[in-house]
Amino acid sequence: MISLSDFLIVSAGLFCIGLFVTLTKRNAIQILIGIELMLNAAILNLIAFGKYDRFTNSGQTFALFAIVLAAATTAVALAIILNVYKKYKTIDPDKTDQLKD
Amino acid sequence: MTMVQAMFYLMGFITLASGLFIAISKNLVRSVFMFFVTLMALAGLYVLALADFIAITQIVVYVGGILVLIVFAFMLSGRETLANLQQQQSKFIRIKKLPAILLAVLFFIVMINVLFKTNFDGLPWIQQAIAQKNTIGTNDAMIGNIGVGLMTHYLLPFEAISILLMMALVGAAHISRKEKGI
Amino acid sequence: MEDFLQHIDTLTINFALGAVIMPLLAAIVNRCLPANSKPSGWISTLAILVSAVLSIFVFAKVWNQHEVHQQQVWFTIGNTSVYTGILLNNLSVLMLVLVSLVALPVHIYSTAYMKDDDRYGRYFVYLSFFCFSMLALVVVDNLVLFYAFWELVGFSSYLLIGFWYTKPKAIIANKKAFIMNRIGDIGLLTAIAILFASYHTFDIEQLFGANGVVKSAAISSNWQYVACIGLFLAVAAKSAQFPLHTWLPDAMEGPTSISALIHAATMVAAGVFLLGRFYPVFTHDELTILAIIGCFTAFMAATIALTQNDLKRILAYSTISQLGYMVMAMGIGAYSSSLFHLATHAFFKCLLFLVAGIVIHEVQHMKDEYNLHIDPQNILYMGGLRKKMPLTFIASVVGGLALFGFPLTSGYLSKDGILIQSFEWAEGKDWLHKLIPIGALLTSWLTAFYIARLVIKVFFGEFKAAQFDPAIKLHVSDGKWQYRVPLVLLMGCSLFPLFSINPILYEKAWIFNGFSVITALDRVNIYHTILPLLVNLVGVIVMYWAYAIYIKEKALPLPESGFLFRFSYREWYFDKIYQKVIVLPVIALSKFTRWFDRNILDGFIHLLAKIGIGGSKIAEWCDRYLIDGFLHLLASITLGIGNFARRFQNGKVQYYLFSMLAIILAVFIFKILIY
Repeated sequence: MISLSDFLIVSAGLFCIGLFVTLTKRNAIQILIGIELMLNAAILNLIAFGKYDRFTNSGQTFALFAIVLAAATTAVALAIILNVYKKYKTIDPDKTDQLKD
Repeated sequence: MTMVQAMFYLMGFITLASGLFIAISKNLVRSVFMFFVTLMALAGLYVLALADFIAITQIVVYVGGILVLIVFAFMLSGRETLANLQQQQSKFIRIKKLPAILLAVLFFIVMINVLFKTNFDGLPWIQQAIAQKNTIGTNDAMIGNIGVGLMTHYLLPFEAISILLMMALVGAAHISRKEKGI
Repeated sequence: MEDFLQHIDTLTINFALGAVIMPLLAAIVNRCLPANSKPSGWISTLAILVSAVLSIFVFAKVWNQHEVHQQQVWFTIGNTSVYTGILLNNLSVLMLVLVSLVALPVHIYSTAYMKDDDRYGRYFVYLSFFCFSMLALVVVDNLVLFYAFWELVGFSSYLLIGFWYTKPKAIIANKKAFIMNRIGDIGLLTAIAILFASYHTFDIEQLFGANGVVKSAAISSNWQYVACIGLFLAVAAKSAQFPLHTWLPDAMEGPTSISALIHAATMVAAGVFLLGRFYPVFTHDELTILAIIGCFTAFMAATIALTQNDLKRILAYSTISQLGYMVMAMGIGAYSSSLFHLATHAFFKCLLFLVAGIVIHEVQHMKDEYNLHIDPQNILYMGGLRKKMPLTFIASVVGGLALFGFPLTSGYLSKDGILIQSFEWAEGKDWLHKLIPIGALLTSWLTAFYIARLVIKVFFGEFKAAQFDPAIKLHVSDGKWQYRVPLVLLMGCSLFPLFSINPILYEKAWIFNGFSVITALDRVNIYHTILPLLVNLVGVIVMYWAYAIYIKEKALPLPESGFLFRFSYREWYFDKIYQKVIVLPVIALSKFTRWFDRNILDGFIHLLAKIGIGGSKIAEWCDRYLIDGFLHLLASITLGIGNFARRFQNGKVQYYLFSMLAIILAVFIFKILIY
C-alpha cells in the first residue's frame, strides 16, 4: 500500500516545478502550463486525502470540480492571451506591462 | 516491493521528470507535449490513489480539452512567436533564473520538512476514519457513490460550477471575438 | 541808560550777524540755481551791499567806543565750557567794513567780467561763500571758530584759484596754494592748542583783551616758541611771507576779480589780521624776527617784481612786498600803522587788479579778434592804451602812486608812517637793526620803479602787438559801467580824504589813532621831515628814469643776460629750490612709503588673507565632504530605498508573483525556525 506521504512528496515536487515554470518562462502559454502543473499538484493532494472519505467522497468530488474549473480558467486565460497577442504582437508578460488606455 | 509500489514510483518519476523537462525546455512545442505526458502520468497516479473516475475525467478534460485548447492558442499566436521562442538560447541554468530556482527549492524544502515532521497515521481524523471503516478499499467502486453525491450532497456547488463554467466559456468566446468598433 | 546801551548793543550784534549771514544766504540761493544762472550776480551783489551798509552802521556804533562782546555757551566738555559769540572792537569792525567795502565793487565788476563764463552762477556761489567766511573770520570771538573760518577762507580761495579747472596750470596753482596753506593751518592749530593748554580758554577777549591772561602770565618759554613759530607759519602761509610765499604768484591763475578781492585785498591780509589779534603773544625778540622776515620779504618781492612780464604776477609780487611791509610794521611795533596800511593797501591794490583785469580783458578781445598768438597778460605786448582807456589809465596812475606812497594818496599816509616808525625803532640800536629801515626804504624806491614800469609799458608808447600784424586797429575802451563804477569808487578810497583831513601827517589819520593802544616808539622829529621828502624825491627820479628807459629807450640798468636780472626774473629760484629740496625728497619719501605699504604692509595683509583663505578652504572641505557628505549619504540612502521600492513596482506580473511567494516563504521559514 502506498503511504499518504509519498503522494504528498510527489505533489510537493510537482508544485515546485510548476512554481518554477510560472516564475521563469517568458511565454504566457508556458506560464499557463506551469499554473496547470500547480493545480494538478493540488488535485493530487485532494485525491490522496480523499482516500479517507469513503461515504461522502468529498476529496474526489472537489477534485472533479477543480478539474472543471481548471478547464474554465484555461479557456478564459487562452482567450486573454490571444487578445494580448493581438494588441502587443507578443505574449511575453515582461513586455506587456502597460494598461490599455 | 510490490507491483503497486513499483507502479507508483514509476508514475511519480515520470510525472516529476516530465515536469522538469517542461521547466527546462526552451521549446514550446516540446514542453506542450511533455505536459501531455505529465497529465497522463498524473492520471496514473490518481488510479493508484484509488480514484479511477477522477483519472478518467483528467484524461478526458485535460488531455481532450485543455491541451487541445493550448495547442490551438499556440498555433493561433503566430509564426513569429514560434520562431522567436525556438531561437532562445538553451543554457541549462541562466543566472537570471537563479532566484526562481532558489525560491522553488526552498519551497520544496519547507514542504518536505512539514511532511516529515507530520506523523500521518497519528492524525486524529485519519485514525477516526480508519476506526469507522471510512477508507476506500482497492475493490470499492466509487463512481455510483460520486454520482449520487453530486446530485444530492454536492448539488449546490455542482450547479454553481456549471453556471461558472458556462459563464467562463461565454466570456472566453466574447473576449476572443473580433473587436469591431475599437 | 544801561538798558538803552544794552538795546543798542543787541542791535549792533544783530546787524553784525546780518552782515555776516547775508553773503551765506546769497551763496545758498545761488547754489540752488543752475550753474550759469544770470541773476546770481545781482543776488550776490545785493547781499554784499546789504552787508556793507550793515557793516558801516556797526562800524559807526563801535569805532572808538566801547567794545561789544556777546557770547553764549556752545558746548561743554568736562568742566570746560566753550563759548561762541561775536567780538566787535576797533580791529574787527575795521576789517568788517573794509572787507565788505572792497567786496562790493569787486562784485559789481565781476558781474561784467565773468559775464561770458559757463559757470557764472557757481562763481558767485564761491565768491559769496568767501565773503561770508572772511566776514565771519573777523568777528568771531573764539579760537575754534576762528580756525574754522580761517580754513573756510582758505578753502574758498582754493575753489576760486582753480575756478577754471580745465586749465592745467590753474589746477597746479590751486594745489600749491592748498598745500602751502595746510602748512600754515597746522601752525595755527598748534598755536591754538598750546594756548588752550596754557590758559584753558578759547576766548579771544580773555586771552588778548585789555586785561587778557596772555599779558599777565607768560607760557613757559619753550612752548611759547613753538606757539609763535606756529603762528608765524600761519601768517607766512596766508599772507605769503618769505618761506611760504610762492603760492601767491601762481594763484593769479584764477579770475582777475578774485585776485583783486582775495589775493590782494582781503584774504592775504588775514595773516596780518591774525598778527593783530594775537599780538600780545609775541615777545620782543620774536617781533624783531618778524620784522626781519617782513622786511626781507618786502625787498625780495620788490626785486622780483622789477623784471616780471606778466601783468598779474607783477601785482602779485607787489602784494607780497606790501604784505611784507605790514608784517615788518607789526614787528617793529608800529601796530596801528600796519593795520592802517592794511586798510589803504586793500583799496589801492584792489584798484590796480581791477585795472589789470580790464586791460587783460580788452587785450584778450583783441587777441581773439585778430587771432594773435600772444599772452594777453604779458605787458611786453601792450602799450599805448592810455588814449583809448582814459579812465583805466587814471585809475592805474592813482593806484600806482598810492602803492608807491605819493603825497595826497592814502598810501602816502600809511606807508610813510611805517617807514618813519621803522627809523624811529632802529634809532639807538646797532647797525644790524638799521638794515631794516634801510631795506624798507630801498623797497619803496624799487616799488616806484616797477609800478612805473608797469604803467609805462601798458599805457604809454605804441601797441607792441601791432608789430605782428600791421592791420590791427586799437579799439579798446574802458568798458561798461560795471567796470567804471568800481574803478571810481576805489579811486576815491585810494585818496587821502577818506583817511585823514591832513594829507601830510599820518598821525592825524583816524585809523592810526584808532589803535593808539600800543605806542612804544619815541617820536624823532627829524625823520618826519626828511623821510617823506627823501622817499618822494628819489621816487620821482626813479619813475622818470623808468620812463626814460622804456619810452626813450635808453640802456637798461641791468643787461637781460646778467645774473642779477635772471636771478630776479626767475623769482630768486625759489620754486626750483623748493622743488629740489622739499618736493623731490617728499616724493621720494612717498615712493618709499608706497613701496613699504605695498610690499611689507600689503604683504602682511596678503599673508593674513592667505591664511584666511586657507582656513576657509579647510572649512569648505569640511563642509563639502563631511556635512554635505552626510547629507548626500542620507539622500542616497533615501534614493536607494526609493529605487529598491520602485523595483517592486515594475509592472511585471512574474516579479510580483515572485515577491509574493518570497514573502510567504519567508513567513513559513520564520515560523519553522521559531517552532
